[in-house]
Amino acid sequence: MLRSLAQWCRASFVSVALLCAAGALADGAAPAANAPAASTATAPAAAPPAATAPAGASGGEFKSLDQEVQSLKTEVVELNKDLFVLEEELLFPANTQIAVFVSLDVGDFFAVDSVTLKIDDNEVANYLYTQREAEALMRGGVHRLYLGNLKVGKHELVAFFTGKGTHERDYKRGATLSFDKGIGAKYLELKISDRVRKLQPEFIVKEWE
Amino acid sequence: MRWRRATIAALALGALAGRASAADEPAAPAAAPAAQQASGTLAPTRIKDLYYGDVLFYFYQDDYFGALTRLRAAQEKDRVSHHADEAELLLGGLWLSYGEHIEAGKIFERLLASNVSPSVANRAWYYLGKIWYQRGYWSEAEGALRKVKGELPPRLEGEKRNLLAQVLIQQGRYDDAIAELNGWRGSPDWTAYAQFNLGVALVRKGRMNDAAALLDGVGRIPTSDEELLALRDKANLALGYAYLQADQPANAKIPLQRVRLQGVQSNKALLAVGWADSAEQKYREALVPWMELHGRNLLDAAVQESYLAVPYAFAKLNANAQAADYYNTAINSYTSESARIDESIAAIRAGKLLDTLIANDREGRNGWFWQLENLPQAPESRYLYHLLAGNEFQEGLKNYRDLNFMQRNLAEWSRSLVAFGDMVDTRQKAYEQRLPKIDASLSGVDPKALQDKRVELESRLNEAEHGGDVVALGTAHEQDMWARIIGMEDALAAQPDDRSLDETRDKVRLLKGVLSWQMNESYKARIWTTRRSLKELDLALREMEKRWLRVQQARDSFPNDTAGFATRVAALKPRIDALNTRLAAASQAQGEYLAGIAVKELEAQKGRLASYQVQARFALATIYDRAANAGSTQ
Repeated sequence: MLRSLAQWCRASFVSVALLCAAGALADGAAPAANAPAASTATAPAAAPPAATAPAGASGGEFKSLDQEVQSLKTEVVELNKDLFVLEEELLFPANTQIAVFVSLDVGDFFAVDSVTLKIDDNEVANYLYTQREAEALMRGGVHRLYLGNLKVGKHELVAFFTGKGTHERDYKRGATLSFDKGIGAKYLELKISDRVRKLQPEFIVKEWE
Repeated sequence: MRWRRATIAALALGALAGRASAADEPAAPAAAPAAQQASGTLAPTRIKDLYYGDVLFYFYQDDYFGALTRLRAAQEKDRVSHHADEAELLLGGLWLSYGEHIEAGKIFERLLASNVSPSVANRAWYYLGKIWYQRGYWSEAEGALRKVKGELPPRLEGEKRNLLAQVLIQQGRYDDAIAELNGWRGSPDWTAYAQFNLGVALVRKGRMNDAAALLDGVGRIPTSDEELLALRDKANLALGYAYLQADQPANAKIPLQRVRLQGVQSNKALLAVGWADSAEQKYREALVPWMELHGRNLLDAAVQESYLAVPYAFAKLNANAQAADYYNTAINSYTSESARIDESIAAIRAGKLLDTLIANDREGRNGWFWQLENLPQAPESRYLYHLLAGNEFQEGLKNYRDLNFMQRNLAEWSRSLVAFGDMVDTRQKAYEQRLPKIDASLSGVDPKALQDKRVELESRLNEAEHGGDVVALGTAHEQDMWARIIGMEDALAAQPDDRSLDETRDKVRLLKGVLSWQMNESYKARIWTTRRSLKELDLALREMEKRWLRVQQARDSFPNDTAGFATRVAALKPRIDALNTRLAAASQAQGEYLAGIAVKELEAQKGRLASYQVQARFALATIYDRAANAGSTQ
């Protein structure tokens, strides 16, 4: 009796050890969640199948859900596009629409903080840029600062730019443009660029056809 | 134009490269032109469509959903025609960044074969292969990775090789995986990862000799790099356990003893070293690592098992009293640990785990590049450490998170759509109220009659000019004077014989001559002035006609426009509702799926504890049985 129990006990331990061994083979390679960036990058590749279980390993359920999510993403983006277009056409019809964009070219001599926009002496926009947005401008993004409606005829736009110039100095400049608004959308671009020869920023308002 | 010139580089794949570099190559930010040149991206371009720049503005802020929506809208409204090809490639990159790999794959398949530089195409295929690997689309992942032509930048190349090998291993194609990695020499770390992954796969396949050579090699790497040290520990541990499984305890101890004592793998190594000693009947030696383990945190599976192993060794050494004490400790510890796991399972089933994980992400971003980086301080997190870090959970969590984001997005649009509907109704009512006034204004002006009058004026002018009719162009006063002179002349002509009127006749003749001279003098200038006035009248008439027509057209088209908007609003509502229903169902299913795998993992842990507990009870019973038998024998 004693012997048989002892044998059972040992056998059961061995089986536990083997269970654990299988776990070690799996877990042993699992990436640590707090591993440094490079190791995070390697995690999918380095991890053995059962440990990081690339999604498909658990069968069709993940894929089936994933495919439904993919399909939903496509449809939601298309729906957003339709709603986005409807909103614009409803609120800003093409024949009265005016859009004012801000762009930054290079930006060595000026770091934009905010832009204030006046049309016909009415302030229509006053936008404070976050660091993330300012960086997006520096990388070549163009910000649609204002979208509105304007009657056909002559108008005047005045823009004030505030930010930091060279040597971290506070900098405020204005730019102005008189323009004709005809039938059809009007696009204006407030361009901030570097005038290298003068080591100064330059502020221009450009009309787009 | 430095950054402008850089834009396309950061586009389809620059974006990917940008994000990827942030993670993979912190020393070489992808947005830097130098890095782009080094990595070989698309040719520089200038922004030719403002709306293309508008898309980039959101894209550079990692707002892939916002950028996608704007790009699709700009494409539909033909606002990015100067960047048509780039926009399409960007769209593919955005879909991929947003985690929509199926659409991204279709676009890349269509575009990358022809008009894109090889380095850009290679990056696109690499990232597509990676997302497909992470989501378990093996054949698709292999197809994409094999489309990479030539070498990627060194780090990506290493990862690509490993991904490809993993994809092959996942499909059971071990020999292909070996062939893929054989002879390849990348950076030392990637080569080591490749050998390790292959070694583990070969152990599973039962090819112990092949595996041992690979794992032993990784387990002996001379390094001081923390990441490689961790990998070395993993390789030694895996090899040690493989030897234990193969019933070769003496061989097992060699790699196991190479595992660092304070590393992440040390618990498992200590346990295994004890088992290797135990397998050789060296119970006293086995107690050394097991006792060390026994003093560590019970959360770890190896520590849990040590609670059983220690008394087992004592029992083997006939130290029955100590064995019994340790078994009792084990039973109590397993019971309390099991209760804590139950609490965690209940919390997960109540949806707390996912809520906590999502709430932990403060940035509110979405897409494939998002990664859960900090585990919440919830009790269940510590049990699920490995599960939460794994691809299956992470990728599923991204989907769950994106579904939640889309639900919030549609909820906002639902509210806006109600406002749009109200706006259309209000406009319609305002139109109906203003219509009588508009009609009255329109009917009060007859553009044709005005035009006829203008024609008559011109013909009168022509007649006056051809006939040299200076009077016709005289001022009102002159014409009045002229008429009076003519009247006087007529009156004088009626009295031809009255000589007393001769003086008057002379005066009238003089007046007529002076007036005629004056009008003749001004005639040419008056002709010119009148012609100019006629031209101004033409302009005014044309402007009036245009305005009249515009008002008329607006009046006529307004009902149709409003009805068109009303139809669009009405058609969008059921689309939102239908998608909302599907999103809710998918979100629930995804949540249940994730909770399910978490609960499964916890139940497995609980099952293991239960099994340990049963074994502890049996062993305890055995000791008591032995003690009782010994007592009765005496």
